[in-house]
Amino acid sequence: MSLKTKLLLLVTISITASVGAAAWLIETRAHEAFRQIEEERTATLVSQFRREFEHEGDEITRGVETIAGSDQMLRTTSELANGAEYANYVNEAATYATTQRLDFLDLIAPDGTIISSAHWPARFGYKQRWFLDRPGPLPEHAFLRHVETPQGSVLAMLCLRPVHIHDLNFYLIGGRKLDAVLQALSPPEGLRVSIYSAPEQGPGELLGPANEDLSSSKVMALIQRVLDQHNESSTIVDLGPGLPQEEILHALPLPGYSDRVPAVLLVGNSLERELMLEKRIRNISLVIAGVAVFIGVIVSGIVTARVSRPIRNLAQAVGEIGQGNWDVKIETSGKDEIGKLAVAFNQMTEELIGQRERLVQTERVAAWRELARRLAHELKNPLFPLQITVENLLRARENTPEEFDEIFRESTSTLLAEIANLKTIIGRFSDFSKMPAPQIQAVDLNEMVRSVTQLFQVQLNREPARILTELQLGDVPQVSGDPVLLRRVVENLVLNAIDAMPKGGTLTFRTFMNEKFAVFELADTGAGLTPEECGRLFTPYYTTKQHGTGLGLAIVQSVISDHHGKISVTSKKDQGTTFHIELPICSSANTMTGETTV
Amino acid sequence: MKRLLSRLSAISSLLLLVAGAYASSRPRYGGVVHVLLHDRVMSIDPLIEDDHPAARDRMAALAFETLTAIDSEGRVQPKLASSWRSDQLKRSWQFRLRLVSFFDGTVLTAADVAASLAKSNPAWKYSAPDRQTVVIDTPTPVQHMPEMLALMRYSIIKRQTDSSGTAILLGTGPYKLSQWQAGDRAQFTVNDDYWGGRAFPDSIEFQMGMSLREQLLDRQLGPNSAAEIGIDQIRALEQTNQYVALSKPSDLLAVAFLQGDSPSRTGRSPVDARVREALSLTINRTAINNVLLQRRGTPASGLLPQWLTGYEFMFPATTDLQRARDIRTDAAAYVVIKPIMLAYDSADPLLKLVAERIAVDAREAGIVVQPYAEPHVNSKAARASINADAVLLRLPMQSVDPSIALASRADDLGLSDSVPAVLAASRPEDLFEDERKLLENHRVIPVAHLPQALWLNNTVHNWQQLATGAWQLDQLWVEGAH
Repeated sequence: MSLKTKLLLLVTISITASVGAAAWLIETRAHEAFRQIEEERTATLVSQFRREFEHEGDEITRGVETIAGSDQMLRTTSELANGAEYANYVNEAATYATTQRLDFLDLIAPDGTIISSAHWPARFGYKQRWFLDRPGPLPEHAFLRHVETPQGSVLAMLCLRPVHIHDLNFYLIGGRKLDAVLQALSPPEGLRVSIYSAPEQGPGELLGPANEDLSSSKVMALIQRVLDQHNESSTIVDLGPGLPQEEILHALPLPGYSDRVPAVLLVGNSLERELMLEKRIRNISLVIAGVAVFIGVIVSGIVTARVSRPIRNLAQAVGEIGQGNWDVKIETSGKDEIGKLAVAFNQMTEELIGQRERLVQTERVAAWRELARRLAHELKNPLFPLQITVENLLRARENTPEEFDEIFRESTSTLLAEIANLKTIIGRFSDFSKMPAPQIQAVDLNEMVRSVTQLFQVQLNREPARILTELQLGDVPQVSGDPVLLRRVVENLVLNAIDAMPKGGTLTFRTFMNEKFAVFELADTGAGLTPEECGRLFTPYYTTKQHGTGLGLAIVQSVISDHHGKISVTSKKDQGTTFHIELPICSSANTMTGETTV
Repeated sequence: MKRLLSRLSAISSLLLLVAGAYASSRPRYGGVVHVLLHDRVMSIDPLIEDDHPAARDRMAALAFETLTAIDSEGRVQPKLASSWRSDQLKRSWQFRLRLVSFFDGTVLTAADVAASLAKSNPAWKYSAPDRQTVVIDTPTPVQHMPEMLALMRYSIIKRQTDSSGTAILLGTGPYKLSQWQAGDRAQFTVNDDYWGGRAFPDSIEFQMGMSLREQLLDRQLGPNSAAEIGIDQIRALEQTNQYVALSKPSDLLAVAFLQGDSPSRTGRSPVDARVREALSLTINRTAINNVLLQRRGTPASGLLPQWLTGYEFMFPATTDLQRARDIRTDAAAYVVIKPIMLAYDSADPLLKLVAERIAVDAREAGIVVQPYAEPHVNSKAARASINADAVLLRLPMQSVDPSIALASRADDLGLSDSVPAVLAASRPEDLFEDERKLLENHRVIPVAHLPQALWLNNTVHNWQQLATGAWQLDQLWVEGAH
């Protein structure tokens, strides 16, 4: 994966993560804000309900107190206290209730007997003692309680007032249905209010508009929880299939006459708008995130391209240098780290080029010195016999002619031999300087190895330094090369190996495939080389032999290099040396090109 | 002299005062009597079953007459029949007719009477030995034939049709029907040729369908002569020194359970007899009488009141909630006890209160009674079309003769099978036994006997209300008439 791709991926991930985090944060904050608004709306409505509740309670209290304090009621209770028949007053409560717009009104005797009931006239004569049996004073304010009616138990807000006359207490219990409080409320859009009436006996009932959907088991569980714990609670209910039908439902206990909770106020806050807004915000966030990511990717692509281009150029330059192109230069732009790196790189390449030139110059000088030393050495060996021979000839003139002739013949013979030797030395140097260009063709490497082995068989088997040959030839295709030159390479290596094993040994020939190269290895079991010797082995005119020219392996390396191959040597002291040659495989396509391009 | 003149002056003034007083109490001819009726009567024909037969009969009695009549003392009096006699078996009765003319001037004949009675009771055989004699033969003995013939359903009516096919009912009564708007208004004008002498008022006008409250308002504001009122209004009227005429507690307030299948009662099984008995035991009749009826009635344990039969006290009517609960529990082991749908006349607020009180009392024994209002519950035909388990009825008393009254009530309650036996009863013990049989399965639960109340303007004189609540207006006259 390229640096640009990595950078692009990294920047894209960073942008996506950042935008996603921002979108999540926005949605979370929006959700919290909506919830806060919803809670405020609910609290407002609950507050309004409580005001209406108190207002209604005050009105009921005022109405009942008005009845209790009226002259007519005082007259009625006075007559009753004086023994008047209850039957004569059976319809009294209805009249009073009408004047004060009360839904319920009971006129009760001191013993709890219902004298008159506005909402259930037929209930006269029955006892109603729940307030008499209750310890403590009578409640001063209106309270919630269920009232028995012909239609069943009805949740009502009641007020209880005694009418004291002639040391007797008659009682008035008046009130209204709680529906009136609900109807007086004006909940804002999306809010609704219901009351769950929980009578002491029988099933509960939901009061208020559109309460059919509040009878689910989840809502009932919420109501039961509030009834049991006397604490408000809330839940989210699903009002129907599909969104947005969710509603957050707050349930608040409404205190009653006793410790028991007679009713639960249900405030339903529709989440429809909130969910729609949240959905819209989410969609907008997604769109913004998508656009941001898109733009971010584009921009980051451009930026990473700009940022990575100098690095890529640098990498290309390094690659070219690795391939030997030391003249490469990097364009330096900017003063940032990349620019400084480019400048440093250019300085480094310039320095390397200078060093290389100096090294080349040094090596050239050294080579010339070595050449001169070699030449001097090579030429000095034949020259010494020549000098001796010539001095012998000069001294031989003092001998007899016969002796002179004999010495002359021997001397001329020696001179000719040494001159021939000098020619040979000069010819070798001449050959090294005139290495011919390889004639590339398909070469059967195994066959060539067998042929060379066959050629040296007599020399190898010479006693007492007999050398065993071992052929480990693999299945290798034909290689691309000059058969003559390659044969000289192999012969040269074999001769070196023979020289390295003066006491005999084993010479192993191996051929095998290594990826895309055919490999030839020649291993001897000689004394081996030191690492330093290995490093300088292919240097021209470097030799470890007593009479070597130091050109053999140099020629070998030159030939292999001309074949676009590689040669290397590995050696271990007292274990032997192995030459490793890789040669390109012959193909109909590159045979000719290799030939022509070399 | 001067002293003599002063004495003469004083005497003459006293005479004038006496004469004036006499003149104000003396019956006068003329005037219009305005009567407000609570119920709406749809037909004046006594043979057509009406939702409010008592009101219908009150108006019908002005135009149509029966062979006999019951006076204010409960005695049988001659009416269109001047005399009568029967055989010993009380199966053949002979009536001698008075010389009377119908409104069209034709003379009442025995054939007219036979034709009229044949429509009233086709089961009897009628014959006319002569123009003025009618003989009635019955398949079973009828002990109280003269009392029975005093019922308005046995009115002598000549039925004709005019050219347009409209039925014309001709009677012999003191008033003729001059205007009729069914269910709304009726006007009777005096029959100048009435055989008993012309009635004093020129006409009597009835306004029907007035609610009790509307009647009260109308009475205080309008020039009305009389108005039916509810029991709950009596006290207030008496406190303002208004005159209220009360009959004896003759009407029966009772819960009648509907039996058998009818199109409207498909799928409703009759209420179990044990549940009916339990319900009867829950009803606090004393409370109903003392409070709702303002002590104007009497708790009922029988179909006929104590004052009429003398044996009503022998029927138990005590409230026993514990026993009611036990019976109900026992019944619940065998049948599914459903709520009892109790219908009552929507036009009568008293019935509503009583029905609700019955429901309250029943609730104490675990019996659910659901009262609801129905516009038509009084006639048997109407009751056959309602989807109720029981009906709270107010049944008027047809006759002060116990046998006739019991037979009429049995017939009104749909217990017609018992009617012949009741009519054949000659002794009080037989009548008691018949009534006991009628009550033993609790198909009818008596609740109270209550009177009929009538407010009368102080300008109205000689308005007689009989024990049954029927009106006797022979001597009626009104002040202010010329």
